[in-house]
Amino acid sequence: MTTRPGPHARLTGGLLLWYGVLGGAVAWAVHVLAAWSLDELACAAGSERVAAVPLWQAVGLAVVIPGLFTVGSLLVAALVWRRTARAGEEDRAFGRSRMLAVVGVWANLLFLTIIVLGGVAVLVLPPCQR
Amino acid sequence: MSTTTTPPPGVSEQDLARLAEHWGERPSLRGWFSTVDHKKIGRRYLVTAGFFFVLAGLSALVMRTQLARPEAGVVSPQEYNQLFSMHGTAMIFLFATPMLFGFGNFLVPLMIGARDMAFPRLNAFGYWVFLFAGLFMWASLPFGAAPNNGWFAYVPLSGEQHNPGLHMDVYALGLLFLGISTTAASINFIVTALKLRAPGMSLNRVPLFVWAIVATAFMVIFALPALNVDNAMLFLDRRFGTHFFDPSGGGNVLLWQHLFWIFGHPDVYIIVMPALGIVSAVLPAFTRRGVVGYPLIVLSIVSIAIISFGVWVHHMFATGLPQLSYSFFSAASTIITIPSGIQIFAWLATMLLGRLVLRVPLLYVIGFVVTFVLGGFTGAMFALTAFDQQVTDSYFVVAHFHYVLIGGAVFPMLAGIYYWLPKITGRMYHERLGRWAFWLVFAGMHVTFFPMHLYGLFGMPRRVYTYRSEPGWDGWNLVSTVGSYLLAVGLLLVLVGVVHALRRGRPAPPDPWEGDSLEWATASPPEPYNFPVLPRVHSLHPAWDERTAESVRAGATADRILSDGRRTLVTSELDAHPERAVQMPESTLMPLVLAGALLVFFTSMLFAWYPVAAVAALAVAATIAVWLWPSRRPDEELGVSG
Ligand code: HEM
Ligand SMILES: [Cu+2]
Repeated sequence: MTTRPGPHARLTGGLLLWYGVLGGAVAWAVHVLAAWSLDELACAAGSERVAAVPLWQAVGLAVVIPGLFTVGSLLVAALVWRRTARAGEEDRAFGRSRMLAVVGVWANLLFLTIIVLGGVAVLVLPPCQR
Repeated sequence: MSTTTTPPPGVSEQDLARLAEHWGERPSLRGWFSTVDHKKIGRRYLVTAGFFFVLAGLSALVMRTQLARPEAGVVSPQEYNQLFSMHGTAMIFLFATPMLFGFGNFLVPLMIGARDMAFPRLNAFGYWVFLFAGLFMWASLPFGAAPNNGWFAYVPLSGEQHNPGLHMDVYALGLLFLGISTTAASINFIVTALKLRAPGMSLNRVPLFVWAIVATAFMVIFALPALNVDNAMLFLDRRFGTHFFDPSGGGNVLLWQHLFWIFGHPDVYIIVMPALGIVSAVLPAFTRRGVVGYPLIVLSIVSIAIISFGVWVHHMFATGLPQLSYSFFSAASTIITIPSGIQIFAWLATMLLGRLVLRVPLLYVIGFVVTFVLGGFTGAMFALTAFDQQVTDSYFVVAHFHYVLIGGAVFPMLAGIYYWLPKITGRMYHERLGRWAFWLVFAGMHVTFFPMHLYGLFGMPRRVYTYRSEPGWDGWNLVSTVGSYLLAVGLLLVLVGVVHALRRGRPAPPDPWEGDSLEWATASPPEPYNFPVLPRVHSLHPAWDERTAESVRAGATADRILSDGRRTLVTSELDAHPERAVQMPESTLMPLVLAGALLVFFTSMLFAWYPVAAVAALAVAATIAVWLWPSRRPDEELGVSG
C-alpha cells in the first residue's frame, strides 16, 4: 500500500481483519481434527477417558473453545463491516475490506453452525458406540 | 479495442511493432515446440484434454454396449475392469481437471489484464508433463496392462499379491507423473492472480472465474500431496516389498482410504469449482447484468474450498469407525450444500432479474442447473448413513456422480467452449448446429443416467461386466445404452460445430457478446501480448465501464505500454497498486526437454530398468540446473525502477 492508513482504516487492513475473515474456518478445522482424533484415538485405545477427563467432556471442549473463537471472529467481521460503511467506489482499500467483511460475517455464521451441529452430536451420541 | 491495423489512441505504430516483435513467435517447428504463450498452452490443454475425453468416452461406449443386454460377451471381465478403471481415472485426472485448467490458462491472464502467466516456462512444462503422463497411462490399454482396480484403487485389491502385473504400477506412476503438472499449474495460477492483476483490480473487483481458479489451485496444493504420498507408498509396497498397507507387516489398510479421500473428496470440488466459475463468467453476457451477490459467491467459493477438506470420512461409512466420528463428518457434508445453494440461488436471481438472451451458452447453463441440482439431491440422500449403506456400490452411485460430474463440469465446459470460441479462434460458431448438439447432449445425458438410479435401487451393483437377466434390470439397461449413443452423437455435433467454426465461421468481433470482463477488451483472437495498453480497472465489470476504456485511451503512457522488452506489470496482492515492471522469459525448448526426461524416468521405473531410470534422473537434474542458471540480465540494466 502506498498511502498511510488513517485511524479509521486500522481495522480494515492487517491481522485483525484476517481474523474476522478466516477465524471461523480455522476454528472449525481445529474443531474437526481435535474432536475426531480424540474420539478415534481414545476409543481405539479402549478407554473412554483422556488423561482422567471423561472423553465426552474432552470432545466437548474441542467444541466450545473453537465455537467461542468463531464468535469473536464474527464480532470482528461485523465491526469491520460497520467501519467500512462509507466505502467510496474509488477507495480500493476500503472497498476490498468491506467485501472481505461481508464474506467474514457469513463465513463465521456458517462455520459456527457446523461447530454447533458437531457439538450436538457430542451431547447425543455415546463417544465409542460403533 | 485493437486489431493489428488500427493502434488504440496513444499507442504509436512503433509501439505496436515493438510489442509484436518482443512477444510474437515465428511460425516454425521449433517455435511450435518452444512457445510459452499462455494462450497457445491453454488451447493445447483444451485440445489434449478433449482428446482424452474422447478416449474415455469411447471406453464408456464399449461398457454400455456390453451392458445393453444381460450376459453379453463384447468384452472379457479383465477387459471390462480395465475399461472402467481407465474411464474413471482418465475422466477425472486427464480430462476434467486439465480441461478446466486449459480454460484457466487461456483466460486468467486476459481476465486480470496481464500479458502472460507469472511463470510462462513452468506453464509450458506443466502442459508437456500432462500430455506425456496422459499418453503414458493410455498407452497401457492396448497392451492389456491398464489400471484395473477402479479409479480409487483400494488396497489390498491393488496390492501386489492380489493384483500382479503392471496394471497398478501404471496407475501409481502415471498419477505421480501427472501430479507434477497439476501442482506446477496451481502454483502458477496462485502467483499470477495475486501479483499480475491490472492496476485497480482490488480483491473486490476480481472476476468470479479467477476467484474460482485460485481457490481450486489452493485446494490442489493442499489435497494432492495426500494422493502423491499414497501412490508412492503403493508403488513401494508393490515393487520393493514395503508394508505401508499390509497389516501382516504392521501396515494399515485403511490408511490408503483415508489418504485417498483426503484428496478425493476435495477433488470433486476441484473439478466442479472452476466449472461453477465458468457459469458465473458466462451469465452476465446473457442476462445483461452482473451476477447477483458477488461477495456471497466469493464466500461460497472460499468456504467450499475449506469445508471440502473436512469431510473425507463420508466416503468410508462402511468401514466401522465410531458413530461420533461419523457425525462430525455428516454435519459438514450436509452443510456444504449451503454454500453451493447460495451460488445456485444467486444465478437464478441473476436470470430472473436480467434480460435473458437465449443463446447456446445459456442453454448449457440452464442444463447445468437442472442436472447439477438433481445430482445434489441424490447426494444429500447419502448423508443419511442408513441410505448410504443401502446403495453403496450400486448403480445408484454411478447415476449420482455422473449427474454431478457431467452436470457440474461437462455442461459448464460446453457453455464455456461456445462462449469463448470467438475469443479463442476469432470465429463465430453456428447457432442452429449448437442448439441441435445441446438438445442431443441434454437428452442423451438424462436418458443414460436417470435409469441408473432405478436399477441401482433394484440392486444392480456397479463394476460388473455382465448380469443375469432380472426383472427391472434388462429394459432399463438397454435404455441407458441407447441414451449413451444419443449423448455421443450430441458430443460429436459439438466437435463438428467447432470444426465448422474454424473453417467457415464468421470472423468474430472483439466483443460479440458484450461480456463484462477484460478478455473482451482485446482482439479476437488476442495478440500475443494480449493488451497494447495494460488496462486500469475501475469496477467489477471493466468491459462495461466507460472509465476503464477511457483510462486505456488516456493512460497510454510508456509505463502502461511497456514495449521495450517482453514485460508486464507487477501489482500488490490486495489492492493491486502498481509495483514495478518485470521482464518475462522468452520461449525455450527447456520445458519440453525436462518433461521428456521425466517421461523416460517414469517409463524406466515402470519396466524396472533402474540404470536407465538413474540416467534419466541425472538428466532431469541437469536440465533443471540449466533451466535455473541465471542467464537473464539483472533488472537494473533494463531501467526498471524498484
Ligand atoms: C460421456 C458419457 C459417459 C458415459 C456413457 C459414462 C459411463 C459410465 C459407466 C457405464 C460407468 C460404470 C462402470 C461400472 O461401474 O461398471 C462409469 C463409471 C465412471 N465414470 Fe463415466 N461415463 C461418462 C462420462 C463421465 C464423465 C464426464 C466423468 C467424469 C468427469 C465420468 C467419471 C466416471 C467415474 C469416476 C466412474 C467410476 C469408475 C470406477 O468405478 O472406478 N464419466 N461411467
Ligand atoms: Cu465426498
